[in-house]
Amino acid sequence: MSRTKFANLSIRSKYFRIITAMFIVVILTAGCLFIYINSQQAKLSRERETLQYKAQTINELAATLNDVFFRARGYISLKNDNELQLAYAALEKLDVVLASYSQLKLSPEETQFLGDLRAFKTEYENEMLPQAIAYVQTDDYESVRELSESGSTARVNDFLAYTKNYKVRADQVQNDMVQQSVRQSNMFTVTAFALSALLLLLFMIIIWRILRTLVNPIIKLETATHSLAAGEAVLLGELNTQDEIGRLYGAFLHMARSIQDKEEELTVQNEELQAQQDELQDQQFRLERSLSEIESIMEALNQSFAVAILSAKGVFTYINEKVTEYTGYRAAEIVGHPYRLFEMRNLSSAQLEDMQRKRETGMVWSDELLIDAKNGTPLWLHLTLKPYLNDEGGIYQYILIASNITSLKHAQQELAATLTRTEETKTMLERSNQLNHDITYTLDKQQFAGKFIDFMNRQYAFDSSLFLLIRGGIAATKGIPAEMVKQYLDGEGMLYRMQTEKSYVTVRPASRSEQGISPVQLDAYDYYAAVMSADNEILAVFCGTRVGASFSEEETKDIQGLMNRVALAIERLYMYEEIEHARTLNLDIINNVAEGIQFIEMDGTMSQMNKALRQMFSYGKWNEGNRMPPDRWLEHLLGQVGESEALRHFYNQAMAADFTNSGTMKYSIGGEMLKHVDVYAIPVFRREERLGTLFVHRDITREYELDQMKSELVSTVSHELRTPLSSVLGFTELLLNKTMKPDKQQKYLQTIHREAQRLTDLINDFLDLQRMESGTQQYNPEKLNLSELVLGVIEQYKLGSTHHILFEDEAENAAVEADRNKLIQVLTNLFSNAIKFSPGRGEIKVMLRNEPGVIVVEIRDKGLGIPQDQIGQLFQKFRRVDNSAAKRIGGTGLGLAICKEIIEKQNGTIGLESAEGEGTTVWFRLPVLQPQTARPEEEPYKWSPDKDEKPSVMIVEDDYSLSLLLSEELKAKGFKVTHHYQPQQAFEQALRTPFQAVIVDLMLGEELDGWDLIMMLKHDERTADVPIVISSALDQADQSLLENVRRYLTKPYPPGELSSTLQDILNASGASGEVLFPETRLDGKDRN
Amino acid sequence: MKGEMELQKILIVDDEEILRMLIEDTLEDLEDVQIHTAEHGREALDKLAADRFDLVILDYMMPEMTGIEVLANLEESLKAATPILMLTAKAQDTDRIKAQEAGVRYFMPKPFSPMELLQIVEDILREPN
Repeated sequence: MSRTKFANLSIRSKYFRIITAMFIVVILTAGCLFIYINSQQAKLSRERETLQYKAQTINELAATLNDVFFRARGYISLKNDNELQLAYAALEKLDVVLASYSQLKLSPEETQFLGDLRAFKTEYENEMLPQAIAYVQTDDYESVRELSESGSTARVNDFLAYTKNYKVRADQVQNDMVQQSVRQSNMFTVTAFALSALLLLLFMIIIWRILRTLVNPIIKLETATHSLAAGEAVLLGELNTQDEIGRLYGAFLHMARSIQDKEEELTVQNEELQAQQDELQDQQFRLERSLSEIESIMEALNQSFAVAILSAKGVFTYINEKVTEYTGYRAAEIVGHPYRLFEMRNLSSAQLEDMQRKRETGMVWSDELLIDAKNGTPLWLHLTLKPYLNDEGGIYQYILIASNITSLKHAQQELAATLTRTEETKTMLERSNQLNHDITYTLDKQQFAGKFIDFMNRQYAFDSSLFLLIRGGIAATKGIPAEMVKQYLDGEGMLYRMQTEKSYVTVRPASRSEQGISPVQLDAYDYYAAVMSADNEILAVFCGTRVGASFSEEETKDIQGLMNRVALAIERLYMYEEIEHARTLNLDIINNVAEGIQFIEMDGTMSQMNKALRQMFSYGKWNEGNRMPPDRWLEHLLGQVGESEALRHFYNQAMAADFTNSGTMKYSIGGEMLKHVDVYAIPVFRREERLGTLFVHRDITREYELDQMKSELVSTVSHELRTPLSSVLGFTELLLNKTMKPDKQQKYLQTIHREAQRLTDLINDFLDLQRMESGTQQYNPEKLNLSELVLGVIEQYKLGSTHHILFEDEAENAAVEADRNKLIQVLTNLFSNAIKFSPGRGEIKVMLRNEPGVIVVEIRDKGLGIPQDQIGQLFQKFRRVDNSAAKRIGGTGLGLAICKEIIEKQNGTIGLESAEGEGTTVWFRLPVLQPQTARPEEEPYKWSPDKDEKPSVMIVEDDYSLSLLLSEELKAKGFKVTHHYQPQQAFEQALRTPFQAVIVDLMLGEELDGWDLIMMLKHDERTADVPIVISSALDQADQSLLENVRRYLTKPYPPGELSSTLQDILNASGASGEVLFPETRLDGKDRN
Repeated sequence: MKGEMELQKILIVDDEEILRMLIEDTLEDLEDVQIHTAEHGREALDKLAADRFDLVILDYMMPEMTGIEVLANLEESLKAATPILMLTAKAQDTDRIKAQEAGVRYFMPKPFSPMELLQIVEDILREPN
């Protein structure tokens, strides 16, 4: 960062900074050096002084020591006290010197020396000297000598020697110091020199750099300037600095480039100028050449074209000789005259306007012109008129060039005429071709006739014409009403004449209508032509009338040839029709065959299938001529087949080339209804060649099912007969072989009887059905009341049945005409079924009601129900509900089939609805007998507020005839009657159904009687309000019980009394909207 | 009367009540024999599982479960140890073969003779197990 910054500085500031920095460095270095030298010198002199001082002290010490010894010896030798005092003085001085010495900075040796000296001095002062003094005083010099010899002297000498030695050393040191200082000063000198040299070097480097920075670019610039001047390319790279030189570079480059650009521009301009000049020269040359060319053109023009010049006003000012040649006018006759001298005969006003416009706008006008020559002959000219314009754009004259195209024009006209003729021929040829095409490809006779007559009319311009195909009488006409055709044919002579003469023409005067607007009398030419077959049979007839134009020989020949062609076409048409008819017939036959037929070619492609097969396998649309590859038709087919692998094998075998006999196989088609199919395959040959294989699929479901049914029948009969037979035979055998009590015998006999009866029933059923199927069953129709019949059958079930049968009767008209016993058989059968298939104590509800024209009986149970998929089969023979619960119940499987047979024979219908697990409802409808006489006198009593909501009453009565009587009476009054014979069931029913009233018989079943029912009804709040009418053979025994009873009728009473009582009750409740029990009214009613 | 331990047990399986009664009455004079009845296959299987029988008289055609199906549901060891007499209205050879394959040892077509049945049952019961 800082580097680039630095590098970007201008040269001036850059070098100013460098030099300043150097200056500071030099000053600082010199200063430091100076201070350092000074300090070194001062240190050296200080050390020298110390050393001198030390040497001095040691010298002084040595002197003092010497002095001491000297004085001491002096004393010893001289016994001079003075000397001794002096010695002591010297010792003191020694102390002083020692003290000052010790003050100095001492080396360890010197300290040792000082210590020794001090020790010695102390010893000397305190021992030796006093001893010596003592010896001296005693003059014992001997001892003194000894004393001195014992060492003190030596030690003193040592000390002295040391001092001397020290002095020498100190000198030595001093000398060294001097030398060192000298060395130091030398070194400083050298350093200073080196520093100067370095500085000098640095300056040189800087200067060199400056030079390089400045000079190099300048040199380059110089080179570039030279090359610029020389006009060469300036190869000067950009200098990436921002300093002065860099900027100079930039400026230079800019200048150089702009100079170069300018130069290039100039060069280009120059070149352009050059080119323009060249072009100018060229143009001049061409102009000259053109001029000469024009002259020669003019010459040539004059040779072959008429040229004239007209003034702006249209006056001829010049003509060449050709004009004279063309027109016959001399130049003098034309020049000076306006152009209108010549009449332009062929120009329309629009063309003249165009010419005018073109002329005035300065454009060239050119056209073909017809004028008259001087001698009056027509002259065709191709004329070109060109105006000459002056500089202002104004027209000052015209030049007119014309060529004589008269002969050309004539040739042209001839050519056009020829072309028109060719065109006509071509059209005729095209029509002929079209006809050929049409008669070849038209397969419809009517279309054929129409196309043919169109052709004839156009080709030969018939005014009216007729074409008739004899076979089928198909005709096409033009100008003749269609109904006239027959007349033509019947007309005498024509067909007869044609037998001998294929075609002929008659001429007659045209009738007025044919004549049209023509003012002159015209002839009409009738052309008759027969189309004959190879066997000389007349296939078709053509008649055509042309008014005013006869037939040329060529035309007659043409038409004759045409008729031969048409004969072939018609024969072919008939043949096609026959083939087509045969083919369609075959196809219809195939498609109407119940068997599925398919034809498979040798490569496995299916090329034909009939409708039955399409339906059998639900193939999509199939058009004749469709071809289906095996992977499509076979897979589609096999996908629906149960035994697909076996069938595939069968197909493969049958389609194989070596398959020569026929083969057959049975298979089944899945789906909702399983179909059984028998397929056989036959190879198809035409002469020796195998064409393919024919497969015929026959739906054998019915046969298959019949077969199944037969074996089922055998199995059923076997089982159904063997079981009762076992009982009969078994018990008989027991009776025969065992001794037993009479009651047991009785029981056995009863069982035998019952089982034998069962056997009989079964056999009867079989026989019944057999009879019905063979049509030998006799019916004895009689007038019946179905309500009565139903009640009667229910009566049979009252005792001993586990199931309660509830009867809801709202049929006003229950009269039917039917075989009583057969109907009882049906009802018994249906009731038995309902009971059998409601295990446990289910309730069976029987309902009777009218629907328009019919009576409907419904038997509804809440039993096992029937699976949805089996409902449809149940009315077939030997069909039983196929589940385990139903199997246990057993049966012949004939009951419903018998019922169906019977009901249908009575003109009724039967059916059932069921939900598995919820119960079954079987119904049948029989047509009712219309009542012969209405009962108008009873109408006022009839309760019929609306048909849907009949008032509902319940009769609880166990006497069959009585409940029938009451029921009939009440139904006649428009009530819906529900029958009950058990109090408990009646009570439960009353809880479920809102009854308008309940009629109770007091003498009912064993467990509960009518009173119990009344109590139950009155004690339950849901039924407490229902009016009750008692119908009893007993007198009004217990009045206390009667408080809740609305009406008490003592049997026998007229049924009308009951209905009128009920009527009253309903009127009362209807009026007040609630049920009332007025005591007084009850009493009042009693009087009735 | 011998001790209860030595009573032989027969199970009659038939959906027809009358036939059950007939067989029961036929066999009632047999000494030391206890007769049990079952109305359908399920009941028969329950009883067979609960008790050991010396003879099972089995009907072929029964709702829900045929005699053959009862045998198919019977434990193999139990089947081997229990003599089975099949009484059936299906008396064709194929039925007989089917029954034998299912493990039926004795086969009697309906209608049958009670005395003959008695004789066969006595023989079976006398055979050492």
